[in-house]
Amino acid sequence: MIESIQLRVLQGDPIVHDIHHASLPPLFRGKPELHSDQCPDGCNECQKVCPTNAIQLHPLSIDMGLCVFCPLCEQQCPEKAIHFTNEYHLACSSREQLVVSDATKNISPELASEKIRKYFGKSLKLRQISAGGCNGCELELNALSNVNFDMGRFGIEFVASPRHADGIVITGPLPKAMAEATYLCYDAIPSPKINILFGACAISGGIFKDSPELNREFLNNYPVDLFIPGCPPHPLTFIAGMLDWLDKK
Amino acid sequence: MISLTVQNHQPFAIKNIPILTLQEFEGSVREGMLTHARMIGLFGLEKTQTETTVIAVLSNPSTSSLHLVGTVFTAINNRYNSFAGVHQQTHYFECELAENHHIIPEGHPWLRPVRKQTVVLDKQPYSMYRMEGEEVHEVAVGPIHAGVIEPGHFRFQCHGELVYHLEINLGYQHRGIEQLLLNTSAAQQNILCESITGDTTVGHTMAHALAVEAISRTTVSLRTQTLRSIAEELERIAMHLAGLGGIANDVGYAIGAASYGRLRTLVINSSALLCGSRFGRGFIVPGGLRFDATTEAIELLQKNLSLVQKDVSTINSVMFDASSVLARLDHTGTVSGEWAKSIGMVGPAARASGIELDTRSQFPYGAYRYSPLPLITLSTGDVFARARIRSLEIDESIRFIFEQFENLPSGSIFNELQPRAKESGVISMVEGWRGEIAHCVFTDSQGSWKRYKIKDPSFHNWYGLALALRSEAISDFPLCNKSFDLSYSGHDL
Ligand code: SF4
Repeated sequence: MIESIQLRVLQGDPIVHDIHHASLPPLFRGKPELHSDQCPDGCNECQKVCPTNAIQLHPLSIDMGLCVFCPLCEQQCPEKAIHFTNEYHLACSSREQLVVSDATKNISPELASEKIRKYFGKSLKLRQISAGGCNGCELELNALSNVNFDMGRFGIEFVASPRHADGIVITGPLPKAMAEATYLCYDAIPSPKINILFGACAISGGIFKDSPELNREFLNNYPVDLFIPGCPPHPLTFIAGMLDWLDKK
Repeated sequence: MISLTVQNHQPFAIKNIPILTLQEFEGSVREGMLTHARMIGLFGLEKTQTETTVIAVLSNPSTSSLHLVGTVFTAINNRYNSFAGVHQQTHYFECELAENHHIIPEGHPWLRPVRKQTVVLDKQPYSMYRMEGEEVHEVAVGPIHAGVIEPGHFRFQCHGELVYHLEINLGYQHRGIEQLLLNTSAAQQNILCESITGDTTVGHTMAHALAVEAISRTTVSLRTQTLRSIAEELERIAMHLAGLGGIANDVGYAIGAASYGRLRTLVINSSALLCGSRFGRGFIVPGGLRFDATTEAIELLQKNLSLVQKDVSTINSVMFDASSVLARLDHTGTVSGEWAKSIGMVGPAARASGIELDTRSQFPYGAYRYSPLPLITLSTGDVFARARIRSLEIDESIRFIFEQFENLPSGSIFNELQPRAKESGVISMVEGWRGEIAHCVFTDSQGSWKRYKIKDPSFHNWYGLALALRSEAISDFPLCNKSFDLSYSGHDL
């Protein structure tokens, strides 16, 4: 008993209290900041090195749905036109919004519909589907329940059964072998339900996008409510995005 | 045995691998295994319209040597005598070879699919074992499990609570990594290796980088080697903490789960100090590192680790002393040393069963050549031993990291890669936190990859989990599963 109390004292106060103003290590790579005015004529160094073809030129843009934040482009750029900032507010409600250009300032998802906010604003239960996820995204989603991030305090939790869930969070590029299970799981969730894609693989296939072993048809058939970019996304990117989307500030 | 003998990370010309007649090949592999070698690979190296050249790779920890030997199969002569009846450790390798190349092991005791569950291996589609009888029942779980976890399918044959047989069906995560690795840029290859299994990013990128550097005869600085090993040990500490937290959670020891969880956050945030990613992504690349450690990062990292060291020892001593915890861990999910050895188990799970196997000490590479780590073993092979060994390894890894920081060499963190040797190969083994990782890599006449074979430690150990469940209560499955902590994506590739 005494020992348990001792352990509890050791825990201190590890929680991230302010979800919107946490400080992350200097090298953490969040929202890219682009300065295409610095691009030398005819230079395409960044595009050449990008492993996921996330970069477009004229005008310069980075698709965070593809980007794995490696950050070769930043290191290759002769003029520092690309810089990955510490900004972890990256969640978006549309695929187009994930494409960052010079003009992109703050990224935040559009508010969820009134119906969704009314239904899920106070309590949201999610079922996770790992479809080819490498366990990077899964570990970060698990971290949401630890004492540091404790997402449960906002009424958002992961549940075991799709029957108890209000939506899914997909990780991974969706291999063929998971196609059927993904449909079955989604169909088992009562409506209305939401669909969240977590990580570059889920959003675009990421580094696996050209693999013949994928079947991403599910995503053509069901709308996506929220995109959480990253490889893997930081837990705070997920919580901050959810709070913004559901207007829980 | 007749074979090409090389060392870990020693490049060789493919033409030096003896290609034997089938009979000689079988004899040679058998002889190797009788002299305590372990199989770490059995795969097709080259395929023409009519022929497939198959290579067997054996490793001998007692002599720190690797042995390669090959033979040729054709569409008509596609059978050999299975080794698995006597040497169970080859069972899964033979299944994999059959699945990928339709080369059939004659007399194999349990030919089953590895990643493609619907493939016809020999004559008929595989169907899982099923026990018949009164009050016998079958429990099927997955591919989607209760938690936030990767997919796989488990089928239990039970009598009441008691499990007679657990069969594990994987392949849901198959993304075709080995194939993708062949025709992509170096940057893409590195990201692919980071994603073989994202919890072992450092382990697999280390194996990849060492393989590429060996085959292009590029050396890296001492500083690079040291920082790489620090990252590898950080990954080990973090995942061991995650595993202990999971075990604490599964036995309902909430304060333990919360404490290990908090400390793990500190450790992965320390990895982020080195490279920005909590999983070591973007850190190790062939040729060196993408980030150098700054003085501030090192100071902060050491501060974090001192705290982890202090707290973890308190938590460990409380948890491994609590009778309510021990009652669940002791004598649960036992894999005897004899079984562990015969099925070729690796990593902490094998060491918990008393098997002396650790790539860092038996096939040392990088900084482990200069600063050896002790090879820790326990003997009981139960959940307790698998948990305890992870706590002991955390202590050693922390000690190792402090030691490295004490005299961190200076030097450049990146050296340009030389051109790759042509028609060559290299076996690159490293000790990931789950155990032995092997990347067997071969180039063609242009120096491009012609074969990239990956073996994650989980490839051996899933079968260990199945054995651990024999005659156990099905309610102990989550606990046993957590104590093995295996990778689905690493297995499925
Ligand atoms: S950081 Fe993103 S955009 Fe830049 S090279 Fe890497 S994957 Fe491409």
